Amino acid sequence: MSTVHVVNRRDFLKTTGLAGSALILGVNVLPRRSEAGVLDDADFQPNVFIGIDEDGTITLTVHRQELGQGGRTACAMMLAEELEVAIDDVAIVQAVGDLKYGGQHTAGSTTVVTSWTPLRTAGAAAREMLIAAAATNWGVATSECRCERGEVIHGASGRRLVYGELASAAAVLPVPDSPELKRPEDYKIIGKPTRMIDVPAITSGAAIFGYDITVPGMLYASLERSPRVRGTIKSYDADAARAVDGVVDVVELEAGASGLNNNSIAVVAENSWAALEGRKALAAEWDSGPLPDETSAEYGVRLEEIASQPGRAAREEGDVDAALAAADRVIEAVYTGPYLAHSPMEPPVATARIENGVCDVWASAQAPMWARQEVAAAIGFSPADVTVHVPLVGGAFGRKSKPDSSVEAAMLAQKIGRPVRVAFTKEDDIRHGFYRAQNCQKYIGAIDGDGNVSGLLARSVFPAIGWQFSGVQEGPYGGALSQGFSNIPYRIPNLRLESGAVGSSLRIGWLRSVHTTFHAFGVNSFIDELAHATGRDPVAFHIELLGEPRILEPSNEDRANPYRFDTGRLSQVIEAAAEMGNWGRELPEGHGLGIAAQYSFRSYVAMVAHVSVDASGDLTVHEIHAAVDCGPVVNPLTVEAQMQGAVGIGLSFALHGKITVKDSVVEQSNYHDYPVVRLDEMPTVHSRFIQTEGLPAGIGEPGVPPAAPAVVNAIFAATGVRIRDLPIAGQNLR
Amino acid sequence: MATLLINGERREVNASPGMPLLWAIRDLLGLTGTKYACGLGICGSCTVHVDGEPVQSCQTPISAAEGKAVTTIEGLSADGTHPLQIAWQEINVPQCGYCQPGQLMSAAALLANNETPSDADIDAAMNGNICRCGTYQRIREAIHRAAGAASTDGGGR
Repeated sequence: MSTVHVVNRRDFLKTTGLAGSALILGVNVLPRRSEAGVLDDADFQPNVFIGIDEDGTITLTVHRQELGQGGRTACAMMLAEELEVAIDDVAIVQAVGDLKYGGQHTAGSTTVVTSWTPLRTAGAAAREMLIAAAATNWGVATSECRCERGEVIHGASGRRLVYGELASAAAVLPVPDSPELKRPEDYKIIGKPTRMIDVPAITSGAAIFGYDITVPGMLYASLERSPRVRGTIKSYDADAARAVDGVVDVVELEAGASGLNNNSIAVVAENSWAALEGRKALAAEWDSGPLPDETSAEYGVRLEEIASQPGRAAREEGDVDAALAAADRVIEAVYTGPYLAHSPMEPPVATARIENGVCDVWASAQAPMWARQEVAAAIGFSPADVTVHVPLVGGAFGRKSKPDSSVEAAMLAQKIGRPVRVAFTKEDDIRHGFYRAQNCQKYIGAIDGDGNVSGLLARSVFPAIGWQFSGVQEGPYGGALSQGFSNIPYRIPNLRLESGAVGSSLRIGWLRSVHTTFHAFGVNSFIDELAHATGRDPVAFHIELLGEPRILEPSNEDRANPYRFDTGRLSQVIEAAAEMGNWGRELPEGHGLGIAAQYSFRSYVAMVAHVSVDASGDLTVHEIHAAVDCGPVVNPLTVEAQMQGAVGIGLSFALHGKITVKDSVVEQSNYHDYPVVRLDEMPTVHSRFIQTEGLPAGIGEPGVPPAAPAVVNAIFAATGVRIRDLPIAGQNLR
Repeated sequence: MATLLINGERREVNASPGMPLLWAIRDLLGLTGTKYACGLGICGSCTVHVDGEPVQSCQTPISAAEGKAVTTIEGLSADGTHPLQIAWQEINVPQCGYCQPGQLMSAAALLANNETPSDADIDAAMNGNICRCGTYQRIREAIHRAAGAASTDGGGR
């Protein structure tokens, strides 16, 4: 149970927007290990705040950002449910970046996971305190009172008091130790389809995203960055850039020690267009820097060589070498995937102002507390003098976890002495990313004389996230491998799962579902290959190999974490998806169904894809049937939207996504050479929820991993062509 | 100095004639509903209407818009109640929302010329608008809703 505190409003920071509230409750969201360091529980203060004003306004500070995943709406729903108000009665204040929020990083599909207990507990505590205040006022027992639509009601007499009238009296009452949470069957809001609170502002054009922030006196900057990581400036024509109408200044920015930024030349101007035109005039040339040359085709060959040699065991059970030696048949396959860029619609952007010794940053940021630390370090300020504000974020998918644009904006504001917005172009976004790793997986399966899978030897090779921060190019280990590889749930008696180390000339980052994107592709493709090789139906084969339900301990998470990987839940979603997709039905020539299922980020998703390939080899993905078990669903509209979105991005990667490098420089630049799914390629997505009782899990990421293997397996069913290298585009399907 | 007729209002902008309409609208006139995303005219986020026709404002120089009526998302309706804006809200179309002004402007141009578009018409009219969040299925549904027709098949094909 989370501890709820009454917050003294005299001590209250004005930035929370709650200073005027009569009753303020604070509650702790779970501390989590952050990228900027491990948080000390002893320092952990209340960090999500609920305010009730005397006029009845209810305000909730949300410590997670809205990236389109519906997190803010879910937070408001969880509070409103226990507080017995309508969701429209809750005003959201977006929290600024602060380490006290612990897991403020909006990533890992954790907003609902971390907020579920604290927010409901805080709402229930406020409800009980308001009831106590009303009961005292009326001289009746609290048990005779109830809350409804923002009022406390005395049932017997019909007397009513609105929350605003009770807030001041409630504020001096003790906070209940363990307020009683509502029973799920009494929910009026949780589990009910609820529209995202930001929709009206979005559709009218009034919504303000990071790219829309303006500050009085602000200048617009466009940065020419080193095309290679850690490259250095050779030459540029500052005069030519300054000669462009509207250009104010040309400034060099040095890469910091953090590894977040590359060396760059900033053109600062009166408007975006002048900054872009000035930048073109720079004609900058660069020295290569310390990293070796990398070219994608050669790099791919190297990954495959590493995958062909013994690696470092991440998990070993039985004796796979003996099983392979004794095998009746050995099935081998190698699966590869390229680097991927996030390419959200809104490129990275941040605006910074330094005035009177304090720095304010407005950024499309997933990790504003990290931005605050890095900005402070970059400009020599104390973090206490840096505030990072987060407007709406125009898509992120992991890219905006990195506070590089915030650091650049703050450094530039300090150098030029005026507020400045640093806006990436789409080309900057594609070329200066933190990419999903290029990868190679090798699977060797042993089939015994009875046609059963008796052994599996598998290797996963990819460059590790974060080498640019640690400087150490090794790994991948531990947590990275537990994303769909070292926790393979299939019961195979003899098993060895290994990793191989490789460096990279690109910066590697988190991209929606991270390493599960390729591990799910490898594992689900190979299971499908084994099914066909042994003459089994793929759906039945998944279920058979999963066997009796069992609990797999998460290997990279806190043992006290109540979330467990239950293989029975994976079997359930597979059966549900198969039923939804009418698995086994007769299909016309050239059509096929494919199955894939994955546990990731605490949720279970299975997808059945229906595809067709015509005589000329053109692929159509008709439908995706998605069965989801993320526990109790907070907002069905959000889960449905996330399934559609996961298919959209998963298909974009499966069909088209490919970032390549030549001499360590990214070759793609925009949506013409890094295409994504458009409306005519988008299949109809049908979703079904299997709401296993217990705790709700995240949904931002878990839909992505099964999309690509479901489609690839369906292509095999339709044509007999096995795709082992993504993307699919350009490959012969007939 | 150029004169633009934006959302029925005459506005003076001090910009070189080569400046794309997008930056004049956003930076000089402060109408930030129209979005930059690709800068090449291939994603549709900057879609506005010029004399009723949908154009990519990142590819339209100010000079080409002078003397013509420019409508941005802020001018699509006085109070956010264009049938498409209502349908977008009812169907909960947006996720991050960044591409949605462009989606709405393309859809509005479609409905102005075709009161009951088929799925194929929607494909043709909306394929220039990218959404990375994957709201396409609901965009299709919302266009059908606004057109007063039930979605033919609940979405795709």
